[in-house]
Amino acid sequence: MIRLPWLRILLFACLWWILAEGRVDGWLLGCLAVIAATWTSMVLHPPAAPRLHLGALPAFLVYFLINSVRGGGQVAFMALRGRRALQPVFLELPVNLPVGAPQVLLITVLSLMPGTVGVELADDRLRLHVLHQDLPVVAEAKALERHIAALFGVGI
Amino acid sequence: MTELIMPWISGALLIVGAFFYAAGTLGLLRFPDVYSRLHALAKADNLGLGFVLLGLALQAESVAAGLKLLLIWPLALAASAGVSYAIARRADRLGVKPWRKGSP
Repeated sequence: MIRLPWLRILLFACLWWILAEGRVDGWLLGCLAVIAATWTSMVLHPPAAPRLHLGALPAFLVYFLINSVRGGGQVAFMALRGRRALQPVFLELPVNLPVGAPQVLLITVLSLMPGTVGVELADDRLRLHVLHQDLPVVAEAKALERHIAALFGVGI
Repeated sequence: MTELIMPWISGALLIVGAFFYAAGTLGLLRFPDVYSRLHALAKADNLGLGFVLLGLALQAESVAAGLKLLLIWPLALAASAGVSYAIARRADRLGVKPWRKGSP
């Protein structure tokens, strides 16, 4: 007896429902798409891979939303002031998260957070371009690392 | 009541979104080097997109159509962050130095 990945099937079925804008007349094609998507996801990301802790997801999403609004607002007002608002520096930070998805998520989210864009990630060191040297980038990167660690259920 | 207020909220969100798009474009034009321009594109434009999509989703004809609009946001965010990283990394590899205060 094979255990079916019901959660994934449900997610992909919801996704199909959204993509079809709620129409149900294409359900045959939809079923095929859900089966294909579930199979692909099982191959690419087997259940044995590190599991996401869904309980930590809401806190992460709220943190992400607040910071992307802050980041967008900050850079928008810097753009209004022009280059005299800038004092850019390169910064190197040690990364304590495990290699793979957690590190990729870190550098992706950092590019959307206030003042930072990822430049290079190699050997557990992260090079960032920071818009202004007085921004509290180190503290914010540490906070983000803690959120991601909780999301993946890993210690840092 | 909802029908009365919704177009106004939606309109306000669209205007806020347009502001962030304009600011992002302004940053692209005014910022001095490739790295700072990436900040403007990756952050201001994405926030603008988020507000525009939220405003449009409120006007959508069905819940599914609204969610479909909102689904665009995470996809565009992931693409934009990935592309920013690729461009910044390549510029760094090519030896492009970041602009410092005082240089032209």
